[in-house]
Amino acid sequence: MMLNKPYIDVGFFYNGIKDRFKVNLLSNENGFERRITDQNLHRPGLALAGFVDLFSYSRVQIIGNTEMRYLSKLTNEDRLIALERLFRFPIPCIILTDNNKPLPEMLEFAEKNNVSIFGSTLGTTKLMYFLTDFLDDQFAPSISQHGSFVDVYGVGILFIGDSGIGKSEVALDLVERGHRLVADDMVILTKKGEGILMGTGTQLARHIMEIRGLGFVNVEKMFGIRAIRFQKRLEVIVQLKQLGRGDEDDITRTGLENSLISLLDVELPLVKLPIIPGKNITVISEVIALNYLLKHYGYDPSVDMQERLRIALEKKMRPGRGTDYFEHDFE
Amino acid sequence: MIEKTVRIVNRAGLHVRPASTIVKTAGKYDADFYISHEGYRINGKSIVGVMTLIAPQGAELLLEFSGKDEEIMCREITSLIEGGFGEL
Repeated sequence: MMLNKPYIDVGFFYNGIKDRFKVNLLSNENGFERRITDQNLHRPGLALAGFVDLFSYSRVQIIGNTEMRYLSKLTNEDRLIALERLFRFPIPCIILTDNNKPLPEMLEFAEKNNVSIFGSTLGTTKLMYFLTDFLDDQFAPSISQHGSFVDVYGVGILFIGDSGIGKSEVALDLVERGHRLVADDMVILTKKGEGILMGTGTQLARHIMEIRGLGFVNVEKMFGIRAIRFQKRLEVIVQLKQLGRGDEDDITRTGLENSLISLLDVELPLVKLPIIPGKNITVISEVIALNYLLKHYGYDPSVDMQERLRIALEKKMRPGRGTDYFEHDFE
Repeated sequence: MIEKTVRIVNRAGLHVRPASTIVKTAGKYDADFYISHEGYRINGKSIVGVMTLIAPQGAELLLEFSGKDEEIMCREITSLIEGGFGEL
């Protein structure tokens, strides 16, 4: 299910950025209900100067030293015309950078048109960099995925599979062994940049999981702060499945076939794990994480094994014992 | 129980892909399956076992099947090996 935000309101925007990027309110809260529908920023220099074709008025307007200097050089009359032109458009809000103070006319227009003006001590380039990242994140495509999300040795593993197959139980077992729960049941995945998915839980169910037959369990209260984390990059998806007749073909024996799954256009390795009595999924999950790390750092055991066999066939080696001669070593 | 002798015909021999094909095919059946080569007898449902044989082109393998679906299993595995695993 896609969870994209169509807009954020200015009040929410201000709350999110005020402490992070040293932004404060210079006018009043009248404009807090205005909506930001565009993740980009705009510097309205040309609009102030009179050119309003293609003016990106729906973006947050950033006024820096250049715009302030331009306005201050205008005659009183021209300045009013320039500002009137800017405020004629339904802009969401204005942010003055580099500690610039709003001109009295600006505040009047802002009051009259219910637009909030903010100021920041940060320079234009730096503030725009931070705000772009914040807005990108707010407008990033998101989906909710049913599953359990655990950080295993620093590798983000999402367990998926049919209801009741034991995803939460595996997560609980991993937590017990010292790994960290990110989310259970509902995992919200958000695309960050190209090729990165960040996962987190929902506000309501944060680190609460349901164990069949018990009800709710608060993992943070029970296991402490070391057992949880709020967010994690998703790196591997493990699909737990009951093995039926004819499913054999689907289960890799060598690990050479790289099964991939695409979520929000991000391709991730998919491990299909058959659930068989006596099989310890938790330990296998740890091995999946460690194997992922090995592959990430350049070692693939499947390729290694393939290469060993290729060389053995080439050299016409015969099957043989690992140790040729025990040489009086009977220990 | 059925015994059957087959020869590896594909040029590359029993490398990883054919080994995995044998093991996966064997996994569909209930019957026990053993392969003997050069004095080694391994379980045909084990990937490491099959790879350990290091069977090149021309190698002769003795296959043993025992179980209720042994006949059909023997036929499928034999045709895989004699067909060169589709690599001919």
